[in-house]
Formats: sequence, C-alpha cells, structure tokens
Amino acid sequence: MPDLPGKALARELIEKSRSESRATPVEEVIQAICGDGLDDGAAHRLIGRLWTLERMFYYIYGGWGQGLEINDFPPSIKYLFSKQIVDESTHEMLYLDALLRKGFAATQKDAFRHPSGCFVMDSALAYYVFSLRNLATYPHPIRIAALNLGPKVLELAWMEGLTKAIADPDLKGVFESQFVENRSHINMGRRIVEEFVTKPVEAELCRWACAVAKRDYGRFLGELSAFVLGHEAPAPPAPRRQVTD
Amino acid sequence: MPSLEIDHERCTECRMCYIVCREIDINAVYVALEPLHRIEIDLQKCTYPGCTACLMYCPAEGSIVEVESGRSMVPPPPEAWQEA
Repeated sequence: MPDLPGKALARELIEKSRSESRATPVEEVIQAICGDGLDDGAAHRLIGRLWTLERMFYYIYGGWGQGLEINDFPPSIKYLFSKQIVDESTHEMLYLDALLRKGFAATQKDAFRHPSGCFVMDSALAYYVFSLRNLATYPHPIRIAALNLGPKVLELAWMEGLTKAIADPDLKGVFESQFVENRSHINMGRRIVEEFVTKPVEAELCRWACAVAKRDYGRFLGELSAFVLGHEAPAPPAPRRQVTD
Repeated sequence: MPSLEIDHERCTECRMCYIVCREIDINAVYVALEPLHRIEIDLQKCTYPGCTACLMYCPAEGSIVEVESGRSMVPPPPEAWQEA
C-alpha cells in the first residue's frame, strides 16, 4: 500500500507536540500534588476550570460543524468528528459528576455560578476557546490537525502525569477513564492529516494552526495552574448588560 | 422500594436521562468511571417511583429496567406528563 500523502506531516506534528508535552504549566500542579497532595479547594478549582473548558467545546464544535457540507468529505470523517463531539460531552459530564459527587457543588446550577465553573470573557480560557472557534472557517483537516495533533497531545501527557500524582481514586478515575478517548482523538487527527493534507500550502497551514492552538492552550494552562495553586484570584464575572429591548 | 437500572443492550447512550436528572437536581444518573463511559443510575440517589422523569424522556423503549422485577419499563403515556 503506498504511503498516504500527509504521513510525514502527521508524524512531524505529533513528535513536535510530544517533545513539548511535559513542559506545560500543569507540571507545577503535578509537582505540588506530589508534594502536598490535592486539597478539596484545589481539586474544586482544577475540576471546575476543566469543566468550564469542556463545556465550551459545544460552542467550538458547533462552529466547526457549520463548516462541513454534504459530499465535501467521506462519511467516515464526519463520523469521527461526531464521535469526538460525543467524547468531549462525556468528559464534560465526568467533570460535572465529580463536582457533585465530591460535594463541591450541590446542584448543576450552583456549579455554573461558582467562580471555578463560570465562564469569564476576559480570561485565557476564553482566548483559547475563541482561538479554536476561529478555525471554523478553515478546511476540516487543518483545524483537526491544529487541535488533535497539538493541544490534545499536550493534554494526554499532562493528564497521565496528573493521574499518577493524584491519590484520590475517584478523581484519578475521572482522568484515567479519558485516556482511551483522548488517544483515539490523536489517532483520528493523524489519520485525517495523513489522508487529506496533500498540498504544501495545506501542510504549512497545519503547522501554523497547530502552533497557534498550542500557544493559546499553553496560555490557558498557565492560567489554570495559577488558579489551582491559588496564585491568582479568578476575575469577577463581567456585569450583565441589557443589550436588547 | 423498587429501583431502576440501565439495560445496556437497549440503551442508545443518547443521555437524555442524564440531562433531565441533572436539570431537576436529583443527579442519580452518572457516567461510569471506565473507558466505555456507560450511563448508570445511582440507586442511593434515584427516587423512583417518586420520580419517573428519565422514563418520560428516554426515546429507547425498554432501556430502563426495574431492578427487582427485571421488567423493562416503557415510557409513561404522553397524557401522564402533557399539560391539559
């Protein structure tokens, strides 16, 4: 079987992301957990903030989905994308379950309102979300390369490190049970890039988009680590403003 | 007291039961912490037969089962929950 056109590019992007994967700001959180464990307050901040990000994937993928048309890609590509949407929804549910099970929030409504769980517009989290949403206007293989061969590789690596460090079996399970799906997202990304990124210009776009996504994800991880370790207080939510009659 | 469980042979994993259970703050339906991430019901939290909201929203008939009798539950007739 002849080599797929994007095989070298997929390998290059994965290897580059892997080489950066254990140098993210989450390492500071992992070190802190290895030293002093994870107290309830820090666990609440960690799970709450990750839950907020996962919720935003409905918004990101909603935009990406609008960029898919009938007959532009084989059904298998669309199936993989829908699988990824379901997986992301599962992870969102896992985080919310953990918040409720641990007693960090009494109800879903409380979890939404809490500073650890509410979406704040002026934040690195929002910046990363808008950065990914912005890829909606790019061809599907490029945005999948950006996310699945960039931040997803970093995420899997820090999540494995975090899982080893966490002692609480319940919290460990929240992260550990995501490994299979996260690995499959990376594999889906690899396959899509291998098969559908054929032109040099597309390869350059993949490299650029992947670097941008990782830069903005790194900014989010920096904010997350500072928040979890109590180095900075969460920004107060912006005041509500009536914009319609 | 009768209780419910999910029949994974029939369940389509649409997650409507999870969503409705969260919305009414019973929080008995949860995602299992294993790689398949199947939906389960926490019998300590489920208030069946006091609440039957998941049955009303479940689109896959027979996928929610009464534990004691093994009877596959069918969604209640629409008139049970539709406003007059």
